[in-house]
Formats: sequence, C-alpha cells, structure tokens
Amino acid sequence: MTREHNLDPRTKLVIVLCLSTLGIAVNNLALLSAIALLSYVAASLFRANLKRTFRKIKSLIYMLLFIALVQSIFTRGEPLLSAGGFAILTVNGVERALQFILRMAIVIFSATIIGTSSSRSIIQGLVQWKLPYDIAFMAALGIRFLPMLREEIRDSLVAIQLRGIDIKNIPIKERISLYSYLFNPLLVGTLLKAERLSIAMEMRGFRAYDKRTSYLVLKFTKLDYLIMFFSIAITAVFLIISYM
Amino acid sequence: MHYIEIRDVDFEYEKGKSVFQNLSLNIDKNETIALMGPNGSGKTTLGKLMAGILKPTKGQVNVFSRDTRDIPLHEIGLRIGYLFQNPEKQFFANTVYDELGFVMKIKGYDEEYIKEKVEEKLEFFQLKGLVNHSPFLLSQGEKQRLAIAAVLMNEPEYLILDEPTTGLDKKRKDMLLNLLFMLKNQGIGMTIISHDRRFVERICSRFIYISRGEIQYDERA
Repeated sequence: MTREHNLDPRTKLVIVLCLSTLGIAVNNLALLSAIALLSYVAASLFRANLKRTFRKIKSLIYMLLFIALVQSIFTRGEPLLSAGGFAILTVNGVERALQFILRMAIVIFSATIIGTSSSRSIIQGLVQWKLPYDIAFMAALGIRFLPMLREEIRDSLVAIQLRGIDIKNIPIKERISLYSYLFNPLLVGTLLKAERLSIAMEMRGFRAYDKRTSYLVLKFTKLDYLIMFFSIAITAVFLIISYM
Repeated sequence: MHYIEIRDVDFEYEKGKSVFQNLSLNIDKNETIALMGPNGSGKTTLGKLMAGILKPTKGQVNVFSRDTRDIPLHEIGLRIGYLFQNPEKQFFANTVYDELGFVMKIKGYDEEYIKEKVEEKLEFFQLKGLVNHSPFLLSQGEKQRLAIAAVLMNEPEYLILDEPTTGLDKKRKDMLLNLLFMLKNQGIGMTIISHDRRFVERICSRFIYISRGEIQYDERA
C-alpha cells in the first residue's frame, strides 16, 4: 500500500475535478499538453494501472483517433495539405484534432485516478459530502453491477453463436435485428435482478433513511488538505494564464 | 478418429490457478455420457471446452477432427447443441414462439417453413399453450424444455447438457428422461453433466467421474 492510495477518495475527486475542468476550459495547445502530462504524472503517482486501462479501451482509442481525423478534415481554415485546390488538412483542423485528443487523454488519465479507490469508499465520500443517500446508493449499485453486465454481454454473444449464427457475416438488416435480440436478455435480466435485489434488501431490513450510521467513516488528513489546496491553486493559475 | 478428442489439455481461468492438467479424453458420437463430480471439480469447464466455448491453455481439443481454436463457434453450434446450466442465459426473444423461430428468421428461412418447424417443437416439448409467454417468466421446468427445444431447432448431432435436472421435480425429470430417450433413439449422442446419479444411471452408458480436475474413473455400463 503506498501513501497515495491512503488519500481520501474525496481528495482524488477534487484532483479529477480540477484536471477535467482544465481539460474543458483551456484551449491553448501548449497548456493542454502540460495538463495532459500533469494528469499522466498524477495517475502514475497514484500507481493507476494505465496499461490495463489502455488495453480495455483499445477500440475506444481507435474511435477517438478516427473522430480526430474526421474533425481535422472537415474544419475550414488555412490549408496545410491540399490536392487540386481542395484543402484536405487545415491548420485549424489539425489544431482541433490535437485539442480533442489531449482532452480525451486528460479525461482517461484522471478517470484512472478514481479507479485507485474502491467504489465503496468513493460512495462514502459522496455521502459525507451530503449527496442524497438514495442517489449515492444507486451509483454504488450501478458500479457493482457493471462487471456482471459485461459478463452477461459476453455470455449472450457466446450463446447466440452456439445457436448457429455467424455474427460477423450477416447482412446489415439482420444484424440490426440480431442486436435487438442481444439487448433483450440484458434488459429483462437487469430488471429481474433489480427486483430480486430489492426484495432481498427489504427482507434484511434495508430502508433508504436520511440519517444513517456507517462502519466506514472517512477523515481528511493534513496531506489531503495540502493536496486539495495545491490542486485548486494550480488549476486557478492555469486558468489565469489561459485567459490572459 | 473420435468425435471429440481432448489431448493433454491444461486449462486455467487465472494464471497459476490450474483447473485441468494434462487431461485426455475421447468421446464418440453415439455415446450417452454422464459427467459427474462434486461442485468445483471442473465439470462445466470440461463441457465448455468440449463445445469450444473455452479454449485450452495447453494441449488440444478436437471436435469433428478440427482444433476448436480453428472453428468459429457458430459452426460448432450447428452440430453440437449446448444447454447452459442456467437456461435463461440462452433466451433472447420476447415470446416462446419467437425464441424458437428467431434464428431461422435471421438466417432468412421462409416464414411458412419456420412456422412448421416451430409448431413441431412446441408440440413435442408440450409448450403449445405458452407460445405468447415471455421465456424469462416461465417455470424452471418450462424454461428447461424451451431451452432444449431451441437448441434442437438446429438439428444438432450431439448434445452437451449442463445440469438439465436442476429445479425439476420427479414428474418433470421423468418427462425430460423420456424426451432424452427419444433423442437418443434418433441417433443423437449426448454428454449429461449432472449431480443426479439416479437420473443419469437410467439413460447413460458411460460414466466419467472427475474430481479436482482429474478423471477419477471412466466406466462403461
């Protein structure tokens, strides 16, 4: 366990909030690069598993690169690369594409910081920040059910192939109707699971009362205050430089 | 050549946590096999390896003389029917009728032909009164029957049934047994993964018992 892992999850949320605010508010390419680098350093300091994250979102990264390419082609401005008088790439377009990629990198790096805390402690942090318990509990359940949903999607894909359907080589019309069939067990399964869970919880005396006691109580340390102060201060400095 | 050949197979879900080591087994098409063993012994994993759902970490699983690593799952699905432990896992449609017919519909079969095939299965599996019911809201016995009927729509030559008697009372078990006998008489081979010794003893001719990932005995009746 590193010292960074022992930080209060609310401190991590503040860091992520600062980084993502900067990612949205700043337009200058050099500043955005610096923020992306800062997010990477922060994620590394928190020992976030960046390799695993990139492996998981590989297809999303390809999609982001494709969007960036489309954006760079369809943005008008001073031509950078042209063929027969038609501008294929413009300076503005490339700049926009780079901004988009850097912003996404900032979002991904900061999201990995959150991942270094357990969902339980993040929810507890939100509750202690006076987020209504119902909403915090719903978010906690959502996080808990996500891996199960992923597993169910995988199982459905296996089961439908075992029914003799070649999902990669069917015409587009049939493919659309196939997706509706794949969606069906997920929807029904989720509703049934939610119903069973709510019955089981009520049977064990669970109610969404406003006043609750919790076994897990989070406490800020001096280090938390210090890191939050510096995060907000750095964010303010970046914003001032950016809008000067 | 055997129908399913498991050759020196190692399998692990997580690195370092081996389920099988050096497992070998041959299965012929006309056999009715009982795969038994305690919870966590690897019965379902072995069934999934046989159906090509899981691929071995080491060694080879050959189905109809081809390595399962090289056969797309849908090709195996056309010849081997796999019944999941939880039949709900293989339901996709909103009604019993659609559940039986949607695969043929996606494959572009004629509506009349689909109707004929679906009605044949509804009759055979005593599901006629449930055509417009949601598969997800049927009783356990009805779900099992529908799942088997759906698997049989492809007319497979071999079946792998994972715990088909779970949640069935004696009457329903007898019904299932009669059905399996009918399929056996039609020349369909099967592997039944089960805890229910009395059930499998009535239909199976070969009994494989596995424990901790090893075959403890493999006997023919």
